[in-house]
Amino acid sequence: MERIYLGEFEELVLLVVAALQGEAYGVGVMEALEKQANRSVNISAVHAALRRLEAKGFVQSEWSEATAERGGRRKRLFSITQEGSLALAQVRDVRFNLWKQIPGFTSNLSFS
Amino acid sequence: MKKTNNHPPKWADKFLEWYCKPELLEEIQGDIYELFYNRIEEGDSKEARRRFAWDVLRSLRLSTIKNFNLKLSPIMLRSNVKIAFRHLLKQKQYSFIKIGGFALGIAACLLISLFIRDELSYDLQYPDVDRIYRVIGQFNDDGKIEKGVHFPAPFGDVLESDYPEVELSGRFNSSELFGAGANELRVEGEMQNFHEDGFVFADQEFMELLDIPMVYGDVKHALAQPHSIVISKSKADKYFPNENPVGKHLILNNDEENAYKIGGVMEDFPATSHLHFDFLMTMTQVEFWPGEQTFWQANNYHTYIKVRPGVDAAQLEKKMLAIIDDYIIPSEIEAGSTNIEENARKASFYLQPLRDIHLRSEGIFDRLNHGDIRFVWLFGAIAIFILLIACINFINLSTAKSANRAKEVGLRKVLGSVRGHLVNQFLIESVLFSLFSFIIGVLLAGLVLPFFNQLADKSLSFPWHEWWFVPLLLVSTLVVGLFAGLYPSFYLSAFRPIDVLKGDLSRGSKSSGMRNALVVFQFTTSIILIIGTFIIYRQMDFILNKKLGYEKEQVLILGGANTLAEKESTFKQALLQLPQVKSASLSDFLPIPGTKRNGNVFWREGKTKEEDPISGQIWQVDHDYLKTMGMNIVEGRDFSVDLALDSQAVIINQDMAKRLALDEPIGKRITNSSNVWEIIGVVEDFHSESIRDDIRPLCMVIGNNTTSHIAVKVNTTDMPGLIKSVEGIWDRFSPNQNIRYTFLDESFATMYADVQRMGRIFTSFAILAIIVACLGLFGLSAFMAEQRSKEISIRKVLGASVKSIIRLLTQSFLTLVLISLLIAIPLAWYVMQKWLEDFAYHITISWDVFVLAGLIAIVIALATISFQAIRTATANPVEALRKE
Repeated sequence: MERIYLGEFEELVLLVVAALQGEAYGVGVMEALEKQANRSVNISAVHAALRRLEAKGFVQSEWSEATAERGGRRKRLFSITQEGSLALAQVRDVRFNLWKQIPGFTSNLSFS
Repeated sequence: MKKTNNHPPKWADKFLEWYCKPELLEEIQGDIYELFYNRIEEGDSKEARRRFAWDVLRSLRLSTIKNFNLKLSPIMLRSNVKIAFRHLLKQKQYSFIKIGGFALGIAACLLISLFIRDELSYDLQYPDVDRIYRVIGQFNDDGKIEKGVHFPAPFGDVLESDYPEVELSGRFNSSELFGAGANELRVEGEMQNFHEDGFVFADQEFMELLDIPMVYGDVKHALAQPHSIVISKSKADKYFPNENPVGKHLILNNDEENAYKIGGVMEDFPATSHLHFDFLMTMTQVEFWPGEQTFWQANNYHTYIKVRPGVDAAQLEKKMLAIIDDYIIPSEIEAGSTNIEENARKASFYLQPLRDIHLRSEGIFDRLNHGDIRFVWLFGAIAIFILLIACINFINLSTAKSANRAKEVGLRKVLGSVRGHLVNQFLIESVLFSLFSFIIGVLLAGLVLPFFNQLADKSLSFPWHEWWFVPLLLVSTLVVGLFAGLYPSFYLSAFRPIDVLKGDLSRGSKSSGMRNALVVFQFTTSIILIIGTFIIYRQMDFILNKKLGYEKEQVLILGGANTLAEKESTFKQALLQLPQVKSASLSDFLPIPGTKRNGNVFWREGKTKEEDPISGQIWQVDHDYLKTMGMNIVEGRDFSVDLALDSQAVIINQDMAKRLALDEPIGKRITNSSNVWEIIGVVEDFHSESIRDDIRPLCMVIGNNTTSHIAVKVNTTDMPGLIKSVEGIWDRFSPNQNIRYTFLDESFATMYADVQRMGRIFTSFAILAIIVACLGLFGLSAFMAEQRSKEISIRKVLGASVKSIIRLLTQSFLTLVLISLLIAIPLAWYVMQKWLEDFAYHITISWDVFVLAGLIAIVIALATISFQAIRTATANPVEALRKE
């Protein structure tokens, strides 16, 4: 099995991108991280993670229409790619397998 | 009303646009703007602006910075370096001044940095240095806080047993009264005695507390046994070469019954330790008198503690006040004191961190050699100023010579150079200069280091083996180069090509205001250093020649006389047979360091219950003491051999008479609660301690013990011959003991070795600063003369005299030096006044110091300038005029 390099923060960002279903962009991801994962980060950290994910081929991006709220600038919208989904699934499977081996925790798990 | 600002800060936005990769800019800028507007809506626009700027700064990452390589392409770099070289070679004189001045500055800076680094590294080698404290006792005497390091014998144990915060407490006793300090030493089974210094009594716990590294033996047991001793490695190598001496015996002062057994060999205390001992004698089962170890009334022990991790020293200090109530007050009451409660409220404790002892022991009387944090600051400041002076030379010469570069700049601009390229070019040039200067500076510093070590009494070396040293040098090269080159490069690159090529440029006189200010700065600094040097030397002179209350010339001090034992007085008689010997005195109390001291309290007889005592010393002397030391009796009489009663007589100094409020002291009686003496004389106040300290109450009684010191007053011009004769007598009496002697005036001078050292270092750097500043002035004046050579030639042709031309050329510079003088005088006065206040007896700064310093500065500046001025003024006008 090929190893997937996915840092903890990257994994979180990738999940958010997947969850936002094509509507993910810098500020959106940042707010989702804050609300859903209780992680308060600087916008530059989100940008860096997205750039890395794109370089790895886990997300792709396209420009939105120009919006007034950002001084007429376009948003760069991110969506998860096939590889991205695979990587997430792989990470989940590894963790699930490990969780299963810990007695007493199995019943509480509800993956998929 | 202030309008709320709903726009992001412009500089931050501009900065983002400047550094960000174009392909990332829209996304990043868009997101940051969106966040900004969201925050504005939440209300606080100031906060929103602040966070906007923060986001911009946080987005500055390697991955977002655009490619700036266009300015540093290898071809341009090579071309710039080549041109810099050509300039360097073309103008050898100026290059020499620039690089030479820089190199001198850098060498000075390097040496001083080494010095400071060494000073700051004291005691850091001890493990757990952050948990070890020296206990300081503070006594608030009407606002004047006296600090002491000596505590009663049981104090350390009480700290350890009563306070769970204290992990370990250890003591040492370095008092000569009990046999610490210097002793005569021999190995058991040998005859020859050697004089050794550095003896101290120490607890087993004291060794553990500092975790002294051992060569032989165990740090946990080495001093545990009674009569055990730990010696340093260098002493072990001296007495027991190539063997393990643990278990061998050492005999001190011929006392064979109480031989010491070596319990271990420790590594020598490193140079960067505030303590330097060679022989640690155990305190196990030692009592200096019966009941001494539980006696609270005598303070003889330096006490150190190691606290448990996480303990707050300030809180522990407060809790320690309970010791005063629980132990000290009861013992005082038992001893009969009455107003002890009130005095006890004035006492407190201070836990001095181990790492502070070397540099921050100002005002603590501990008889150890200390550095001074103020010297560290002072030298640091001098280093920075010398470097600044050197940088200023560079800046001044570069801008002054700008006229010569102006055509180059103009042409480059015409050919399409943008300002950035030119700035780059000049910066590279200055970094190159800086690089050469650093190389020469490091070499220079390396050459001078041995002398500097001698000067500063240190053993410094370059830390080449440290990983950071070379990178640090390189970074400094870059930083200094950029710093010095910044102003010239912007100045030079700002020329407008049209002006330059038309020949309109005011030749080098532009920005002369800035240049003048910098020259003033250089000379102000130099003059302050000159004044400082003068005052330090005057104070030195004052100390060494002050009327001390005794005669320090022609007094020979013999040491180790205690080995003569009962033959000592016969030896004294034999000495007196020599025609050159005027008198001799047996006493261990001498007004120089390394001799005995003690602490006592005195009352007028019968007033012990009602009056506060005064503290003072009792010196045990013999009948010839005052005569030998040349001290003056101002009232009453000297001790007399004929009067048997003199065993109960005392001679007090003027200060004691004053403090005890004795108007007519002769015949009055004083007591220290165990003895009563009758005053037979008053001796003129003399300096028993360093002149830094005030004269304190002191009295003298006749002592009958064997002493280790014999003071011999002589009258001879042939000192070596006399010493030979004394040696001859000594060898008759004590063949197994080398004679040891010093001169009173020499020992006296060692008390001020640090001031002397300071004076020498100060002088060296003052001279250096002046040389560097003069190099700059030389360059500038050379340039000015060159610039005005045509004008001067015409003046000469029209009949101007050489004198008037020289005046013309020197006037403007002299004005600058005079301005510097005006600025420097008050500054120097203030700084040196502060320094002098450290001495209880000091000179007052008189105006002639400033006059002298000013004259020196003017003469040096004039000499520097006039070389050029005279050359120009006497040149044949034809030479300059026919050039065009």
